[in-house]
Amino acid sequence: MSRPPTEDELVERARRGDGAAFGALVRMEEEIAFRTAYLITRNAADAEDAAQAAFVKAFYALPRFRRGAPLRPWLLAIVANEARNKRRGGGRREALVQRAAQELPSGDAAPSPEGRLLAEEQRAELLVALESLGEDDRLVLSCRYLLELSEGETAEVLSLRRGTVKSRTSRALERLRGHLREER
Amino acid sequence: MSELELRLVALREEIDFPPTPALSVAVERAVALAPARRRRLRPLALVLAVVLVAALGVLALSPGARSAFLELFHLRGATVSRVEELPEVELIERAELLGVPVTLAAARRRAGFELADLGEPDEVYLRGDGLVTFVYGSIERPRLLLSQVRGMVWDGFVKKVGARGTSVQEVEIEGERGLFVSGDPHFVMYLDSMFRIQEERAYLAGTTLLWNRGDVLFRLEADVELAEALELARAVK
Repeated sequence: MSRPPTEDELVERARRGDGAAFGALVRMEEEIAFRTAYLITRNAADAEDAAQAAFVKAFYALPRFRRGAPLRPWLLAIVANEARNKRRGGGRREALVQRAAQELPSGDAAPSPEGRLLAEEQRAELLVALESLGEDDRLVLSCRYLLELSEGETAEVLSLRRGTVKSRTSRALERLRGHLREER
Repeated sequence: MSELELRLVALREEIDFPPTPALSVAVERAVALAPARRRRLRPLALVLAVVLVAALGVLALSPGARSAFLELFHLRGATVSRVEELPEVELIERAELLGVPVTLAAARRRAGFELADLGEPDEVYLRGDGLVTFVYGSIERPRLLLSQVRGMVWDGFVKKVGARGTSVQEVEIEGERGLFVSGDPHFVMYLDSMFRIQEERAYLAGTTLLWNRGDVLFRLEADVELAEALELARAVK
């Protein structure tokens, strides 16, 4: 059985105009691309438009993509740019919401109902505090922790220097701590 | 990682993101019609920009815009202008400029005017604005391209030539004006649906003969000398 193509192989094929290879790359990155766009636009329809437009632009821009470089940050930078352009157009902003609480199986390892309630309240509190931050802070923390991007990837996505990402993350965490203290 | 950072990472799983749409389907569809590849060129000094214009809807232009536009024209449906320095452009592949491949019968049916040819073409392309191109050879390695579009029914031009590297000669074909562009490759640009010249994207063309026959603009691109180009133009029936 033949092994599945690597990202580099798919990129190379897409660079030569292979739409199916590019489609495979899109499938690999569509979730994080959409979520990146959503965290910036805060509107699902705008995020979908932005991510889709970004992928099409990326396909055309593939000849300028540096061979061997990781694709994701390059793609996400295009997505973020499209999303910022979309956001300038206005539109309804949606707030981040928590998933509905799920039923957990009972047993020794399962937290008590009180414990679950407490954890849920803490998460809700954290989400409110995150949402109350300024946009720069919120975006840098979203990239680093909600999207789990590295400092380098965050720098590319937000068009910042790596050092700026580091210092901005540190300051944003401090401010988030402050908001959490105020909420108590 | 601090406790707060750990809580943020855990929060990731708790956020109710909207479901991710199946972007790959739409993206694959969008790129399916894409040209094989594009390249970017450095600015070229003193290059000729040849603009073939869309045939339809020009009369919808405002009078002011139209008179400004008229000043650019050299042939009905085309203008050749010299520029000191072209902006950096994204070069597009020939196939993108020409539209989509169609059968000869479909092109004849959809062109809206009687198509002339130099014998049965190997490939036929049709663009949304009605430009039909016959490819002799293949689109990757064409021996000759013959494009035709029903041009404007009005005339008027300001000629801006004086080549260095690219030569532009006025010619006459069957009593009508034509232009023979040879030498260095030149850019071919198009007007968008709002009749704005799209200077950011162009196709790099070789030796070209442009001429009018009635209200149709012909464009012949082949690696030939003037005499042979004129002979070919006259053979287009």
